[in-house]
Amino acid sequence: MSAKPYGLIATFDTTPSVYHAAEQVRDAGYKNWDCITPFPIHGLDKAMGLKRSNVPKFSLCGGLLGFTTGMSLIFYTSYINYPLVVGGKPYFSPLFAFPVSYELTILFTAFATIGGMFFLNGLPMHYHPVLKSDKILSGMDDKFHIVIESADPKFNLALTKALLEKAGGKDIQELEA
Amino acid sequence: MSTHAATASAAIPSETPSSCACASKFLGVGIAGIVLTIIGLFVSSGKAVALSWLIGVSFWTAIAIGMLMLVMIHHILDASWSVVLRRQFEHGLAAFPWLALLFTPLVIVSWTGSHDTIWKWMNPDYVLLNGHTVGHDPLYIKKSSFLNLEMFTAMTALCFAAWIWLSARLRKASFSQDADGDLKWTFMNRKTAAFGLAVGAITLSLAAIYWIKSLEYHWFSTMYGVWYFANCVRGALAIGVLMLLALYKRGDLKGILNTNHLHSVGMLIFAFTVFWAYVTFSQYFLIWNANVPEETFWYNLREITRAGEPSQWKYVGMLILFGHFLFPFLFLLSYKNKITHSRITFIVRWILLMIVVDLIYNVAPALKDSLGEPLPFLSLNLLWTATSIIGVGGVFFWAYLKSFPKTKLIPIRDPRITECLTHHE
Repeated sequence: MSAKPYGLIATFDTTPSVYHAAEQVRDAGYKNWDCITPFPIHGLDKAMGLKRSNVPKFSLCGGLLGFTTGMSLIFYTSYINYPLVVGGKPYFSPLFAFPVSYELTILFTAFATIGGMFFLNGLPMHYHPVLKSDKILSGMDDKFHIVIESADPKFNLALTKALLEKAGGKDIQELEA
Repeated sequence: MSTHAATASAAIPSETPSSCACASKFLGVGIAGIVLTIIGLFVSSGKAVALSWLIGVSFWTAIAIGMLMLVMIHHILDASWSVVLRRQFEHGLAAFPWLALLFTPLVIVSWTGSHDTIWKWMNPDYVLLNGHTVGHDPLYIKKSSFLNLEMFTAMTALCFAAWIWLSARLRKASFSQDADGDLKWTFMNRKTAAFGLAVGAITLSLAAIYWIKSLEYHWFSTMYGVWYFANCVRGALAIGVLMLLALYKRGDLKGILNTNHLHSVGMLIFAFTVFWAYVTFSQYFLIWNANVPEETFWYNLREITRAGEPSQWKYVGMLILFGHFLFPFLFLLSYKNKITHSRITFIVRWILLMIVVDLIYNVAPALKDSLGEPLPFLSLNLLWTATSIIGVGGVFFWAYLKSFPKTKLIPIRDPRITECLTHHE
């Protein structure tokens, strides 16, 4: 095993125990850590001290970009590049550019949302040190885990281990980097 | 207000809520508004006051229709998050018989005198600007089997009858379930919703066409019923938020209403803001694009004077574009604005105000001078519109508050109530 582990993994048997342990880890000020649960636990994000997702910011930028693209596309093609009178209408009006802009707003928002989601969560991830642990299979079945990474500024092998033990974690193991 | 109502089941009140002593106050305000509107008859022309009254009645009827449609939509989709909100809507539905009563003066006025006080097509001898009478107008003759006094009266009666009947069924099933907890009431409501949604869609379109659109009977728009529906739902959701927050502030809904309920209802308000814009824009865009005089005149009346100058109505139209769509759209994008009480209260009040402006924009230009020019937006008639809104609104809230103590605060035996109380993202 290398000198510095990837982190520590602790096992919990019940949903409330992992929920309250998460609150303790949060209150201890850790940042680089995560919970592994076989199903979504409502309220766990708050117990972990997670803020609301930043994906909507990507969505907003995508939407604005889509709207401007639609408007400029119609403006460029029908006013600058090839002005043509159609149905006695002006060369450019935001009215007939609106359906296109509206569609592109939705399309670009959808792209930005999905792209932003992948950018922020780092998926697809083909390897993660946690997969080396034999514990992880139970975390996909009937057990709950908390993983604290050694990359966390507050990480200290002995102290972090003590915290996890105090929080009710069992079978605490070091993860290979 | 906690995000998680983990302890909410302990907070379910078992006794019926206390009635509000303010019910009679609301009735007083309503009567005062009605009296002031009647005084208006001696100050302004009868036609102006009648149109203002039409705005007042159709505004609150829109909100009641929106509540009816939302209750049925929630039943048909088996929605669980909205159970607490649904109960407030069910109380609001108690206003329908009173709205029918308040609409009656308009029908009586149509049957008396020259019949054309409000809807000019009711009088075949009404002389149009081109010198012909309504009775000789081909556009009227083609539509006369639909647009006549008997049909108008029958359809208005039918609409109110349908709304009152659907409301009575929905209220009875929901209130009875509070007492016995029988699941059959849930199924009964689902069946009522299944056919009631179709009935509601048809009747609200008929109401919008007869009451508002036919003020300019030359005009064509297939979007009109949908436009009215969009305003109905936006108004109902806005009043629903105000009701929930008032009850929360009074303490009734403490431990019951959580931020996720407000987030969900905020998202619905946002969705219907976009829906309203989609429908209203489509109506304008198709007419603008096709450029057919029978359709464009409706917007021309609301934009330029005979001299070709921009009229006040043009700026009202701009206010509707930016105030009824763009501002609420941008405001409601933010999560914080949907869950902070003061902010959501502000935006729903703003939306209600804009619905009134939208109705004024659709109704009031029917009031014209001798040259066929709509009277300006800024006039004494705004005062009669305000007194009408207050008058009908007072009666509306009085009916709501009178229904409020009749049953439990929330549907405690609804099979979805636990899911609602623990509503999460």
